This record gives sequence, C-alpha cells and structure tokens, in this order.
Amino acid sequence: MDIAKTISDFIIDKFEIGDDPDFNNDVHLFNEGFVDSFGAVEIVAFVEDTFNIKITQKDITLYPMNTVNEIAAVVESKL
Amino acid sequence: MIIPNSAVRLLDAAAAKYGDKTAVSDEYESVSFSELKERGMRIAASLLYASREGYMPEPVMVYLPKSAKCIASFMGAMYSGNPYVPIAYDMPANRIQKIVDLLDGRGHIITDEAGMEIVKTMDIPPTFGVHLYSDAVAAEPDEAAADKALSRITDLDPIYIMFTSGSTGEPKGVTVPHRGAVDYALWVQRTFNITSADKLGNQAPFYFDNSIFDIYSMLLTGAEMAIIPESLFMFPSKLPEFIRDNKITVIFWVPTVMINVANSGVLEDIAMPTLRTVAFCGEVMPNTQLNIWRRNHKGAVYANLYGPTEISDVCTYYIVDREFDDADPLPIGRACENMRIIILNEKNEVAKPNEQGELCVIGTGVSLGYWNKPEISDKVFVQNPANPYYEERIYRTGDLAYINDEGLIMYDGRMDNQIKVKGNRIELGEIECAAMAVTGVKGAAAVFDAANERIVLFVESCESLVLRKFNNELKQYIPKYMLPGKLVVMDRFPHTANDKIDRVTLKRMITEGEV
Repeated sequence: MDIAKTISDFIIDKFEIGDDPDFNNDVHLFNEGFVDSFGAVEIVAFVEDTFNIKITQKDITLYPMNTVNEIAAVVESKL
Repeated sequence: MIIPNSAVRLLDAAAAKYGDKTAVSDEYESVSFSELKERGMRIAASLLYASREGYMPEPVMVYLPKSAKCIASFMGAMYSGNPYVPIAYDMPANRIQKIVDLLDGRGHIITDEAGMEIVKTMDIPPTFGVHLYSDAVAAEPDEAAADKALSRITDLDPIYIMFTSGSTGEPKGVTVPHRGAVDYALWVQRTFNITSADKLGNQAPFYFDNSIFDIYSMLLTGAEMAIIPESLFMFPSKLPEFIRDNKITVIFWVPTVMINVANSGVLEDIAMPTLRTVAFCGEVMPNTQLNIWRRNHKGAVYANLYGPTEISDVCTYYIVDREFDDADPLPIGRACENMRIIILNEKNEVAKPNEQGELCVIGTGVSLGYWNKPEISDKVFVQNPANPYYEERIYRTGDLAYINDEGLIMYDGRMDNQIKVKGNRIELGEIECAAMAVTGVKGAAAVFDAANERIVLFVESCESLVLRKFNNELKQYIPKYMLPGKLVVMDRFPHTANDKIDRVTLKRMITEGEV
C-alpha cells in the first residue's frame, strides 16, 4: 500500500483541496492553510484507524508531522 | 512576606534554596534554579552593556520559540532592571514592527538565528539593542551592574508589557508592575497550596498572561514548570498521556484546550493519578465539558478563574464546589485577595444584585495602562465614579456581569466587538484593518459566527478571492489565530441610513445560514 497516497487522498477529499496546484506531499499543511488546527486531530485519527497504529504524545513531540511525507514516515516507522 | 522590589528577587531566593532542582523544562532541556539565575545574569550583562544612559527603562522584546530560553531571557530583562515583552515566534513581521515603533526606539530584541533574519528585514532604530540569544547567554555575568540596575527599581515599575489586540489595528501594550505579578503569585500559592513538590504543566503561550500563573508560582514556591510542547496542543487527545507520563500535578489551561480534551473522549481511557488541581481562565468554560472532566477525573480541585490582561491575569475565582447541570453557567465567583470588583450600570452607579452592568476592577493587580498610549489608557483606567473622596483607579473591563443571589459574580458577555476565539482575545477591528491592506479589497467587515466558532470576513471587492490564498496574505499582518474561517466576497456592502456598513444585516446572513 502506498502510505503517502492514502494519506494525501484523505486530506484532499476531507479538506476540499481539489486540484490546487500548490498542494503536494511536501507542502506544510498548516502553514500554507490547507488544514486548520482542528484538522490535525482528524488526520491522526484517520491514520490510527486506517493503519491500525497508535500515535503517542512522544511521537508528536519528537517527529514533525506537518507534511504528507512526514506523516507517512511516522506511520511507516510503526508498521 | 514583603513584596520585593523586583520579582527576580524570587529567583535569587529560589536559587539559594533549591539550587540544582529543576525550575523549568521543555522538550529539549531541563534548567535548574541555579542555572536559570546564571543564564539570567549573563543575559542581563549583555543587555546592560548595550544600554544607553537615560531615565526610562528599555523594554526587552523576547522573540524566541516557546522554550526555557524565553524564561531565561525574561529573567535577564529583570536583572537588567527592564520589563520584558514576550513576542509570539510566529508573529508577522509587520506586527512586530508596530511594537518596535511603539517602544519609541528605546529597547532591545533577543532572538535566535532564524528570528535575526526577519529582524534584519525590519526597520529597527539604531538606538535599539539587537541580541542573539546564544551570544547574550554567553556573556560574563556582572553582578555589580545588575545590582546597580535593580537598586533603582520599585515594585510599581513595569515587569512586563503584553501586547493584545487593538481595534484600530495597532496592538496595545498592557504594562504590568512587579507588584501585580508577585501579589498574584502569592495568591496562587495560598489558594492552590503550591509547593516545591508540584509540577506545573504549562499550556499558556508566554505572550498570554495566563503564563504568569506558571512562571511566578515556579519562582515563588520552587515548583517545576514543565513547558508542554506546542505541537501537542494540535492533538488534544494526547495531552492526558503527557500529564500522566510527566507526573504533572497542577494545570492552568485555557478552556478551549480543556474542551477539546473532554470532547476527544480520552479522559475515560487515561488516568492522571498525579493531577490534583485543574484551573482554567481566558474564556467561558461550559459545564458540559467540565462535567466530563469531573466525572472521569474525580478528586481534583477545579477552579474557574477570570481576569483580563489589564489586571495581572486574574481578579476573580470560583472553586467548583457543587454539581452543575450541563446547561448551567459557571460563576466567575468572587474577587481574589487585594482585589475588589464593582459592577457599574449604565448610569455609572453601582448595580444592585442581579442587575447587569460593566465589570470593573480595583486593587493591586490593576496594571499601569497601555505603553505609550495615554489616550487609550485614560478611557478605561479611570477614577472610580462611586468614590468622590480619594483617588481610586479602576479598570473598566468592557465585560458585562451581574452578582447573583448567592453573591457570586456571573459573566454575561461583552459590551463591544472584542471576541474570544479558542481563548485568544481578538478585536474584530484589527482583522478589518489588516484585510484593507490586501490588494483589491475596498471594504472589510469581520463578524463572529458564534455557532461555528469562527470569524466570517466580508470583503467588498470586484475580484474573486479564495480563503486560503487570502489568509496567506493576511498572515503578513495578523497572527494566525485571528485568521477568518470563512470569506464572503461582495460587490457592495449593505449600508445603514447613515452610510455605515450594515453589520446587523451581515450578522443575520450568518445566523440565517445565507453564507
């Protein structure tokens, strides 16, 4: 399974990004305004359910999770 | 105890008594009381070396990511006899510039390498000291110079200036004296029995006055202040884990965070055995979510605190001592020690019980006003109209309130356009001023959509504008927490008979679901 694609498909659909040319897997989701601060929770809930993993407070403190690829990297380390 | 002339004397005492015990920790380091003092003295030496002769203090802007380094810089400012000015690390350069301008060329900035790049793009007067944190903290301590600077300080001199939203687009610098902060810390210590065994889980950003609860309790009592990593607040369901893992005993959070944690459902799953005191302040705390906390985390003391930045954080409190239904409002309670509340009605007379009026504050916590803004200060820091006998300064909060049959103060909303979004205090006028600076915007009206807890920005423009891109432009002028959640573009605004923007119609468009 392509982890990054699964995550980006979810984000594009959930946050109504459409075919915005500024969006890609390395863009800062929060600074660039694609996802608001409440959206972070939904993304974490999605990856926890979809990949059957648990993201802990330490993961969030230690690893950046601001781009699709960064989130995918954390997911991958847990599989 | 005798209130010291400078709050930094609390650090002297704590360093002598607690030495190697951790004072403040963040995700990168733990700093002991001795180390905090040492860093403060080094930074002070660096500031004093760059100071100019003159009577007035030189405010020290601390423009760093939220960390123990900020606390060390605050101590450094105090050891140099100057107030500190916390600056949010993500504050737009335009807004920082406005603050620099308000300081009239007298002051300092402490920042890191990345911040320095932004500072270089700004118009900093040559009379301003610009310091790299890593250099400042490497300076040789100069005890004689610090003692000299501190010897001229009194407890009524400013300890910090906190900039809050201003309706004209210019931030207002609330200037608080040492006495206000220390007196408040003494009240916190007594009311919540804070000791050196406690560990405070700090949520409040340092540019938000709730943080003085944590900072000055730490200095006064020898408790540890654990700065919770900012990234965790995007994931409220992970916060109880942090409290559990780090053995936090006391938290003082903004209700939005408490609400998000409660709504995440995690309180049912994660026990926080060390957490004994849960205090909150900054906006209305709904009983629905407080009841989730109380049901799942029994035995803790819950306290609803109230106070605007202008009175040194908190002036009333209510220890939650009985059951409340979800729909009940929570009282803001009674005045703290050394504080008094009066409710003034429309005739400027003291209101009767249950009569609504403006909540006004008297006492030690009342601040010195807005830095370099006497004309705004004079409107809200005024003589108590109920006292014709001697000078008694009150702060008019603009908050509506009444005193109920039990003698408890009940908060009842705002008199003006100030709003609270996720605990952040915002003047809608500041957003409108920023929007007017965006190309193609002919008019702007910001309206709060309370049901969806978001700001709707109406703009008059012939262009088609997209929220995300518009917000990326607005971010140059206002902090992220002020950004609108919805943008409505209109060819022409509705106007009232006297040609003002018809805000009633705009508001109705929101409540009736037209936008």
